[in-house]
Amino acid sequence: MTFHQINLTVNGEAEQVVVASNVTLMRMLRENLALTGVKNGCSAGECGACTVLMNGEPVNSCMVLAVECEGAEIITVEGLAKDHQLDPLQSALINEGGVQCGFCTPGVLMSARALLNRNPQPGEDQIREALVGNLCRCTGYTRIVEGIQAAAAISAAGGRP
Amino acid sequence: MSIIGQSVPRLDALGKVTGQAQYPGDISLPNQAYLKILFAGRPHAVIRSIDTSQAEALPGVIAVFTAKDMPVNEYGLIMPDQPVLCGPGSAKPYTDHVRFEGDQVALVVAESEEIATRGRDLIRVVYEDLPILSDPVQAMQPESPRLHPERDSNVFCHYRIRKGDVEAAFAAADVIIEGEYRTPYQEHAFLQPEAGVSYMDEQGRVTVIVAGQWTHEDQEQIAHALGLPLEQVRVIYPAIGGAFGGREDMSVQIVLALAAWRLAQRGTPRPVKIVWSREESIVGHHKRHPYLIRAKWGARRDGKLLAAQMELIADAGGYAYTSTKVLGNATLMCTGPYEIPNVMVDSYAVYTNNVVTGAFRGFGGPQAAFAAETQINRLAQALGLDPVEIRLKNALQEGSLLSVGTPLPKGVSITQVIEQARAASLKWAAEPPPGAPSLRRGVGYAAAFKNVGFSFGAPEQCTAAVTLYGGREIERAVVAHAGADCGQGAHTVMAQMAAEALHLPLERIEMVVSDTAQTSNSGSASASRLTFMAGNSIKGACEQALQKWQAEERPAAATYQYRPPKTTPYDPQTGRAEPNFAYGYVAQAVLLDVDVETGRIFLRQVICADDVGRAVNPQQVQGQIEGAVVQASGYAILENFITQDGRIRTDKLSTYLIPTILDTPEQVESLILEYADPIGPWGARGMGEMPFLPLTPAIIAAVHEATGVWFHEFPLTPERVLRALKP
Repeated sequence: MTFHQINLTVNGEAEQVVVASNVTLMRMLRENLALTGVKNGCSAGECGACTVLMNGEPVNSCMVLAVECEGAEIITVEGLAKDHQLDPLQSALINEGGVQCGFCTPGVLMSARALLNRNPQPGEDQIREALVGNLCRCTGYTRIVEGIQAAAAISAAGGRP
Repeated sequence: MSIIGQSVPRLDALGKVTGQAQYPGDISLPNQAYLKILFAGRPHAVIRSIDTSQAEALPGVIAVFTAKDMPVNEYGLIMPDQPVLCGPGSAKPYTDHVRFEGDQVALVVAESEEIATRGRDLIRVVYEDLPILSDPVQAMQPESPRLHPERDSNVFCHYRIRKGDVEAAFAAADVIIEGEYRTPYQEHAFLQPEAGVSYMDEQGRVTVIVAGQWTHEDQEQIAHALGLPLEQVRVIYPAIGGAFGGREDMSVQIVLALAAWRLAQRGTPRPVKIVWSREESIVGHHKRHPYLIRAKWGARRDGKLLAAQMELIADAGGYAYTSTKVLGNATLMCTGPYEIPNVMVDSYAVYTNNVVTGAFRGFGGPQAAFAAETQINRLAQALGLDPVEIRLKNALQEGSLLSVGTPLPKGVSITQVIEQARAASLKWAAEPPPGAPSLRRGVGYAAAFKNVGFSFGAPEQCTAAVTLYGGREIERAVVAHAGADCGQGAHTVMAQMAAEALHLPLERIEMVVSDTAQTSNSGSASASRLTFMAGNSIKGACEQALQKWQAEERPAAATYQYRPPKTTPYDPQTGRAEPNFAYGYVAQAVLLDVDVETGRIFLRQVICADDVGRAVNPQQVQGQIEGAVVQASGYAILENFITQDGRIRTDKLSTYLIPTILDTPEQVESLILEYADPIGPWGARGMGEMPFLPLTPAIIAAVHEATGVWFHEFPLTPERVLRALKP
């Protein structure tokens, strides 16, 4: 086993981490950086609970090796709220009832954030397409879709982009 | 304005959207060790020997535990028929038998998860394989080998209902419909796999932080297996990542407790952590029972039901889990929410070497409703009657006698839910969308009733404690309640009910929850019971605390135990019983298109009319309805759990598919009806399970209308549909 020193940006902070070559981004975030908002539901890229933004793109962090993240910019659910101000997606998911057990919620939020970043006013079909990799066993998804629609509306009305 | 009926945001939502909420796998303690379990991985065997020497010699391995380290090597929610660890060395006979793949054999505690895994793989177990019994019908035969040699049969539960004279009634019937129905397994697939940490707390208690559904029952089962008094065991639930019945039985609780306790006894106390992989979760916990149901129903020409004869066989897998209770429900619900003068039911729970089965949302109701509702839909078709009219003609009313010879508790609303589901469905278009010549459209209806709370004489209570602080006015109220919030929103609803009872704003309610050291026994978060039971306990505690407050006590504290009206078990000969103290009622209408070229089913519309008594938090009620409908749609058409000779073939989320956001009905319309339950808190009934029950038979009926084929088995995967359409 070899170890590597990785330099990357996580939620806006420069981080230097030493990891074994077989450690995933998910594990590094959870164990080295204590970002346990990144959830482990399957370790196989099937459930989406560990979704984070890597250079702006949503990835299953269990399917990315930490050593691939040299120089990368990572955003996790812990980095969504800024200056104690919730992302509109976070408040909309609360208000629309899109959170039940909450284990899928961090991954859902990150996939939705990536969607709104590239398409601020998505239609329902585009929302569903963007979230196809995020399993939820509680809500039936409707309140999640409505939460994302509400967040898009808030942003359009001048809330935080 | 009353806070009952307000969709206040969930108390736990902020922590969950910011990533701050901690689930069991997110909790790490200083100096913790890691636990890995060796599963048997074979369905039926005797363990001749276990050699742990190589594992123990591996650097970084702290300890290895086997059956000989278990003080009392047995557990089980209903009966203690399962070894905690299978293997030689226990006082109890036959604990060296493995009875399903997920049986646990040895525990490795190590400095890291990797070392624990390597240590696990160095354990040498000598198994002597036994014949595998994977067919429950075969396992029932007297000559079949017994999984539990101390018992005289693999049938460990048999209920009988005898009401009236079914033979005479069949002779007088104008039409008789018979069917043999099979239901599949279902895996809970809650998003958070089993995990937890254990340690000795500052008072020397073995403490387990874990996700479950009943803190005090976990505590009891741990204490029993460790041979400890209850007060030396503590169970705490942090955030719980879904449950649906799948956390009712023990998974990691007892082994976590054992490891921390034994390490402390050796003079090397350390916290111990475990996180199951998805595969371990799927192999290691129980599933929804497959049922074989044989049905024969007779009716008059005008649709009046005369008789129903039912035989139910439940595949329990290697151990009982909650099978006897699930069977009790299925036995009551297999004749539907209808008054039938002549009923004969025989139902059986049978040990096999398949994966264990137990609680899952609906608890025997979905299997029973599939058979009962398909029977009545087929009767309607045979008689040329409208499926809604035949239901209304036979629906249970106030004072109607159940199959068990007693009336339902007051507040029966099955007629109302059926009528409202029907009325809302009249707007649907009769034709599939244009431009798709291979689509065939169908509409289906089904209805169901489901108990609220524990049934058939099981002890039932719920306890709450309330303490009021302040001087002239109440500044804050602390509500201590063990009830588990598995994601359904229980703690928010409890706080709303406390605020209402105390006439306080919600901000002044402080919840202390789900810790056996700080809360009293609440019973489980299951059986659609928590809103009803917790509500009545909190209401009682608040009223008593307010009296003390008015008598100038500061702080004013009260503990209140709510006990509902008693229920009674099935009479062993006739089945006569007072089964339940409350029910919820539900009806659904389904609109779908079947693609007759591909076999694919497109669920267009689902209307769910659900009498919840009183919606304490309508948004959470709607979330339960929508979530249950999607989970039930997975059960009906998508989720295909495969076992072969007792071995699970679908132990991943890539082989066991659950609905994604693209697999939902196009629209789920929730009709939340509020016919108060006379003894529910503020009129509330339970509702978490009810919307699951009618969906499968409603889909089956709609597919029949679309294609002319009755399905007696599901899930309705494209392959199954196509095979039936193009024989």
